[in-house]
Amino acid sequence: MIKSSEYSPHSRKLILLYTAPAMIVMALVVIYPFLYNIVLSFSNMNLTHFRDWSLKGFGNFRMVLADSTFWYFLWKTCLWTVLNLIFHVSIGVFLALILNKGIKGKSVYRILLILPWAVPQYITALTWRGMFNAEYGTINLLLERFLGLHVSWLSTEWGAFTACLITNIWLGFPFMMIVALGGLQSISDSYYEAAEIEGANSWQKFWGITMPLLKPVMVPAIILGVIWTFNNFNVVWLVSNGGEPSDTTHILVSWVYKAAFTYFRLGYAAAFSMIIFTILFIFSWRFIKSSRAVENIYG
Amino acid sequence: MRNQISKPRDLSLKGKIGAYVILTLFSLFAIYPILCVFSISIRPGDKLLSKSLAIIPDQATFISYYRLFTEQPFLKWMMNSIIISIAVTLIGVCLAATAGYSFSRFKFKGRQASLLAIITTQMFPVTMLLLPMFIMLIKLGLYDSYLGLIIAYSATALPFTIWQMKGFYDTIPYSLEEAAMIDGAGPVYSFWRIVLPLALPALAITALFSFMSAWSEYLVAAVLLQNQDLYTLPIGLKQFTSNMEVAWGLYSAAALLVSIPVVVLFLFLSRWLISGLTLGSIKG
Amino acid sequence: MIGKIRKYKIWLYYIGAGLLFLFSFLVLPGCQSNTTKKIVVWTSLRPVEREYLQKELDRFGLNYPGYEFNQLFYAPEELRNNFIITALAGKGPALVHCASDFIGPMSELQVIKPLENIFTQQFLSEFIQKPFAANTVFQGHLYQIADRVGNHMCLVYNKKLISKPPQTITELITVGKSLVRDLDGDGRTDTYALAWNYTEPSFAVPFIGGYGGWVIDQSNHPTLNIPAVQKAARLIYDLANKYKIIPPECDYETANALFLDERVAMIINGPWSWGTYLKAGLDIGLARIPKIDETGLWPTPMVFPMGYCLNINLTGQDLEIAKRLVMHLTSPQVEMKFAEMFKIIPSRIVEMNSPELQKDELFVHAVDQMMVGKPMPVMTEMRWIWDAMRPAYQGIFTKQITPEQAGVEMQQLAEKLIAENRQ
Repeated sequence: MIKSSEYSPHSRKLILLYTAPAMIVMALVVIYPFLYNIVLSFSNMNLTHFRDWSLKGFGNFRMVLADSTFWYFLWKTCLWTVLNLIFHVSIGVFLALILNKGIKGKSVYRILLILPWAVPQYITALTWRGMFNAEYGTINLLLERFLGLHVSWLSTEWGAFTACLITNIWLGFPFMMIVALGGLQSISDSYYEAAEIEGANSWQKFWGITMPLLKPVMVPAIILGVIWTFNNFNVVWLVSNGGEPSDTTHILVSWVYKAAFTYFRLGYAAAFSMIIFTILFIFSWRFIKSSRAVENIYG
Repeated sequence: MRNQISKPRDLSLKGKIGAYVILTLFSLFAIYPILCVFSISIRPGDKLLSKSLAIIPDQATFISYYRLFTEQPFLKWMMNSIIISIAVTLIGVCLAATAGYSFSRFKFKGRQASLLAIITTQMFPVTMLLLPMFIMLIKLGLYDSYLGLIIAYSATALPFTIWQMKGFYDTIPYSLEEAAMIDGAGPVYSFWRIVLPLALPALAITALFSFMSAWSEYLVAAVLLQNQDLYTLPIGLKQFTSNMEVAWGLYSAAALLVSIPVVVLFLFLSRWLISGLTLGSIKG
Repeated sequence: MIGKIRKYKIWLYYIGAGLLFLFSFLVLPGCQSNTTKKIVVWTSLRPVEREYLQKELDRFGLNYPGYEFNQLFYAPEELRNNFIITALAGKGPALVHCASDFIGPMSELQVIKPLENIFTQQFLSEFIQKPFAANTVFQGHLYQIADRVGNHMCLVYNKKLISKPPQTITELITVGKSLVRDLDGDGRTDTYALAWNYTEPSFAVPFIGGYGGWVIDQSNHPTLNIPAVQKAARLIYDLANKYKIIPPECDYETANALFLDERVAMIINGPWSWGTYLKAGLDIGLARIPKIDETGLWPTPMVFPMGYCLNINLTGQDLEIAKRLVMHLTSPQVEMKFAEMFKIIPSRIVEMNSPELQKDELFVHAVDQMMVGKPMPVMTEMRWIWDAMRPAYQGIFTKQITPEQAGVEMQQLAEKLIAENRQ
């Protein structure tokens, strides 16, 4: 093993060459806006104090945390995220496993299954909204014909939530499927052959070989999937038409948007965003540590 | 000794039937809303909703597609989007492949912190970043140009792709590079010739993801681009909406056409996604 | 495959380098910033109107060879937000064409210029003053020069399904009942009398005026807990659930779909939609929203002007040209063309009363409805009042609360929001 102390200057330059460009690009786009928001979150910037804003300490944070709607939507957002990820990952991995086997017509299936990801979200989200329409939507039409059920999807709180959930699952599973497919490529058939000789059954093969080898590839996708889903403003906004019924179909980010651009409570919105950020940061930190994804060959 | 060692990718007849059934069911689930979009695009009269369940509506017409190419600068938007997306893809693949390798193989101070920092860039709600990002890009003179967009898009795509590449590199045993270095190869050689070819599936995903990030992004482009000649597809599609009324025919036709390059790219890349190129060299 | 790559390596390098070289030619043009001065107008107008707007911009541009005149489209919400972002950063379009209610936030955030010292009194006097002013003055300053007024909802009816529109609500209910039919005998209603986006507070507000109240009082405070509001909500609720002449669940797209499918005889919608109905071949007529019998008052849809505001960052030559552009775009000839082609109600006194326009039946009825409309409040709080109304108001239709209770909740929420946002 090459110890870091044995790296020649040539290699150190190499590290820089390999890593620096990426880091610079990201820093450029994110650091200044991030610092800007930190300052804003401690300020009282809103319509009354726009050009002449001043710092006011933790007041915004206290306001956010004291509002019971914050906690309610926090719980809803966590539920939203967890449910979405469970379905995305299980469906994605499941389909990837099947597609990895020796069956004919794989390419056709692969294309069909990637389409939800490829077609622009704006129109598919609105199409789903149309399908959940209680009077004219396909879903109720089918439910009534085959099961005699009629559900008021978009006019009840949890009906609307479920509608958004189903739409987002549809939008999200292709991505996990592709990542899993890529990951499965690195698992050599020889492992399975060896396990077969030892008499392992499918279940053992899956948990003993597939899962551990798929993990390093899936973990980045899952972590980012959590972050993106947590912050996914588009789908919830479009399917519920901006929070209907009665502003109950919201997740945290749609509230931030409203506070910032409808109410112009910029200081408050910045503080809110910082809190969202902190929550995600803590979660990711723990998840990453426990999955040991930051480790590399040197530990 | 068994008389037949089944290959890992084979399925029994029961398995095959099960596989086809499941795949078909999910494909129907995946494709049905898109068929709805298609029927909106050929339905006369710009109607989003309809009582009929028919995929091909009465008096279906392809006029929306025709108008898209003759009355609208759809092709120009597509060219612009292709240019930007390819640029972002190239940058994304180059930067992520190298940075991911570095995080996976090298040891340096701040490695873990940098990895975490990369992911944290994704945690902040985008809407709050718009104003300061815009101010900064203006100061850098990148307002109303492709360069600003390309930089912004690359920055959004890089976190996932770097992590992805790193994760994939982690599954490639270091023993291969060690063997090469014992034979006298330098670190660059072992990266280029040994590791990279094995990481093609991950590179394919990186390319696809970078492309998609640029291809379907709307918010930042809408704020930055002020010149109609530079408009990308998402902005172009937005033109069909207006104050409360949407030209659904044109919009859905455009939406379907916009998906085609992504599917084409996916087709092109999938041979690396599914190849089995990596197999065989890792035995033992 | 790796072997093959090795063999053709040199060629691949050359081709790759060549492609990159060519590619940079494609990318670079997009990276240069233009040196011709640009005057840009942002607008939310429909594609056909924008086409004509561009023609007028080009015509105006002939006088100024060193400048380029363009219009760009943004959806209303984005128009407002993006304009605020870009103007705050010191850039942004020269003109923004929007509804008068954007003036509240934009003036408070100081991104638009006060205009009273820029345009002459004589010019301004040619614009409509009664029954309400076309050019909006807010907190003592003039902020917008209007190019059209009205933009209000009317009762739109399909002449094939109903030949004479009802004059009162009672008539509406009587006639309406005959229009509600179950055509295929499956127990679900297939046709309704009237459909519209009634779950959206701003689409219900005309009825509040019809009961003699309004959402705000003289000093711009919200008045949502008054009998007029409750009665208006109760009326709509009854239309859906007691008389059943409107669908129980109806949003904007559903109402549109029903009307376009000719499954509903009447709809309440604004001028942005009439073109679509005409294009679909429907034989439509416009009328006033039926009178409320109890008060004898006509419902009061919100009437508002749309026009041009100037970016605060404009100075010197650019400012002068922008001013002249506004004068050109609101000149008599241009307004008349917009009116003829797109059924706009002009903002100039003479033009609005011109004989040519009186020949158009739709125009006449639209103006007729406008005469009993109420001007839309322009202050920033208005948006928050809509937001405050929405939860409780929608709760009425999901049968969670009664209209009376809703009034109390709406008022509370409105006051809370205003207090919070104005801290």
